[in-house]
Amino acid sequence: MLTMTNVKKRFGEQEVVKGITLHVGKGEAFGLLGPNGAGKSTTISMICGLVPYDEGDIQVDGLSVSRSPYEIKKKIGVVPQDIALYPTLSALDNLVFWGKMYGLKGREAKARALEVLETVGLVERGKDRIETFSGGMKRRINIGAALLHRPELLIMDEPTVGIDPQSRHHILETVKRLNEQGMTIIYTSHYMEEVEFLCKRIAIMDHGQVIATGSTQELCKRLAGGNQLLLDVEEVRPAFVEKLKQLDGVEKVMIPEASEIHLYIKQDQDMMASIVSMAAKEAVKLRQIKLKEADLETLFLQMTGRSLRD
Amino acid sequence: MKKMVLIAQKDIAIQLKDRKAFLLLLLMPFLLTAILGFALKGVMEGESLPATVIGVYMEEDPLAREFVENYLQQDLTMLTVKVAATDVELKDWVNQDEVDVGIILPKEWGEQKTPAAILAVSGKESSALFTQQLTDSFAQTAWTMSNSTEKIMTNLAVAASYQDPAIQPGKVQAELLNGMKEVVERKGQYVEVASIGEREVSSMQYYAAAMAAMFLLFNAVRGGKSLHQEQHSATLDRLRMTPTRVDFILGGKFLGTWGLAFGQFIVFMAATHFFLGVDWGESAVQTLFIGLVYSFAVSGLAILIAAFSANEKTADTAGGIMVQVLALLGGSMLPLSAFPEVMRKVALVLPNSWALNSFTSIMNGATWASLGAAALVLLAIGAASIVIGSARMRVSALSGGK
Repeated sequence: MLTMTNVKKRFGEQEVVKGITLHVGKGEAFGLLGPNGAGKSTTISMICGLVPYDEGDIQVDGLSVSRSPYEIKKKIGVVPQDIALYPTLSALDNLVFWGKMYGLKGREAKARALEVLETVGLVERGKDRIETFSGGMKRRINIGAALLHRPELLIMDEPTVGIDPQSRHHILETVKRLNEQGMTIIYTSHYMEEVEFLCKRIAIMDHGQVIATGSTQELCKRLAGGNQLLLDVEEVRPAFVEKLKQLDGVEKVMIPEASEIHLYIKQDQDMMASIVSMAAKEAVKLRQIKLKEADLETLFLQMTGRSLRD
Repeated sequence: MKKMVLIAQKDIAIQLKDRKAFLLLLLMPFLLTAILGFALKGVMEGESLPATVIGVYMEEDPLAREFVENYLQQDLTMLTVKVAATDVELKDWVNQDEVDVGIILPKEWGEQKTPAAILAVSGKESSALFTQQLTDSFAQTAWTMSNSTEKIMTNLAVAASYQDPAIQPGKVQAELLNGMKEVVERKGQYVEVASIGEREVSSMQYYAAAMAAMFLLFNAVRGGKSLHQEQHSATLDRLRMTPTRVDFILGGKFLGTWGLAFGQFIVFMAATHFFLGVDWGESAVQTLFIGLVYSFAVSGLAILIAAFSANEKTADTAGGIMVQVLALLGGSMLPLSAFPEVMRKVALVLPNSWALNSFTSIMNGATWASLGAAALVLLAIGAASIVIGSARMRVSALSGGK
């Protein structure tokens, strides 16, 4: 559905996208992750035809974005990070307007707007002004406005920022359902659990480049010291910490608090028994020991050196 | 084209729901027209001399009766005469401000034995002076005629004593008296006040045109801000993500501003006509035509403001200042006739000045041909603004704006 080949973009002297190559298959849900300034928004803007790229090519369903921008725009629905709606117009008027901008005719636009209101669960609020809606409801209409023309590719840029858990749940369920119906989704978010819930494949971007692509499991396997053992002790004794560092399979030891020790360990290592016996020998009172498996957050932190929410 | 209309319709719908904008664009010019039109009525329509109410008390005297009945009470627009029954009543009228000035014409005033008395309270000096001059003028004319007649009749009587049949003193006396009466009664008909131009524009008409020219300019600011609002709220990006050419998006914004400005003009024209009695001239079509081309120019300025301002706030501030300056220089606050020659030349490049002059010309009965230059200038200003504004926006979008 989407193929990006060595795409580059420069703003003045600064190269913000440095040769991205990506492929997203038809019907796939694809996650695009990256810290602020990684080049995600520019990449999305180039796919949508908002920003022209300098080198390489982007193709959507076999059509080049630079050569057939209007044909491609008919195939793409974009949910921007901001609430791109007219606050003083009603939800229905907003949806009808956006539907018509995608080429739907009068009655068809209204009928489709009502369907979309149903999809996002806001039929009963259709005649109310957007400015009277909660943040979550606005986000749902914001998504709805991208669905009116039944796009083949839905690009969602942080669609759940600043909303309540109920609305987030509704949005995720809606997107999941759309994907199950065959719509291709490209999803960016700061919430790893959302990406893990929706996307089978992800790409991690940093400094204008894609630094990793694959499924969550594939990427987590690449982690060194991906799993963590979290020890809750009564008192952190230096001798005990030194012995922990010498254990086979331990990559790193951190002491975030006076009663906590975090061990970064290689995957497939089971060292709980050794630690318990070592604690007994060193007279350290071990209150709790917990294994935290490698996840996207850890992966992201390790690959970019930054937390996703930085 | 269809999408341009869609965007314009959407902008108009948004604007109509904005009460603050409604107040600014419709109610304010209406109120200002009413206030300025009434306040400056005297100044603009040559009524700086106030109408004077003269109270008169006269005792039995033939010249006094002639003065009051045949001189003061003739059709003088600036004068109203009230005759009091007693001198006490007249003094009461003066004290209670029922008349501006009072005249007491005593018995034997006509025989120059007793002078007339002028009564006026403080603050009515100019009315008193005016009345005194009026009375003196009449009395001197009458006495001059009377003395002349007396001299002529004396000489005639002497000549008649030589029994010349050609000399008929009775006939001469009658002719002289008739001539004198005619002179007295023709007072006020020698000088007429005339206005220059085909028809005089009243203050209310002028300020209706001036406020229309000024307040339509606010659409340029509103239109410029609207583009920034779309940019700020990401709806402009969303519009650009739809299969719509950027030119059509800009065209839609332009069309929306044009429609709103022209709509505002029509409503304002109708409101001032029906509620304030403003006569916009014999040809409503001419007025609407100039309103339409002026709205075009204003909508072009909206694109220019959007292109040369960094954000909504700058557009608001700079645009607001621009409107005030243009309004002042273009004659919307004070008539251009009150300005020095240099300022009047400056006004020739201002769209609001062209619009205002055209509106007042139409009120004066302008021909279509005489409106041609104004229409061309306004269309040119609008077109040039669109070309410059959209070129600037294109450059800024390509040079890094997302």
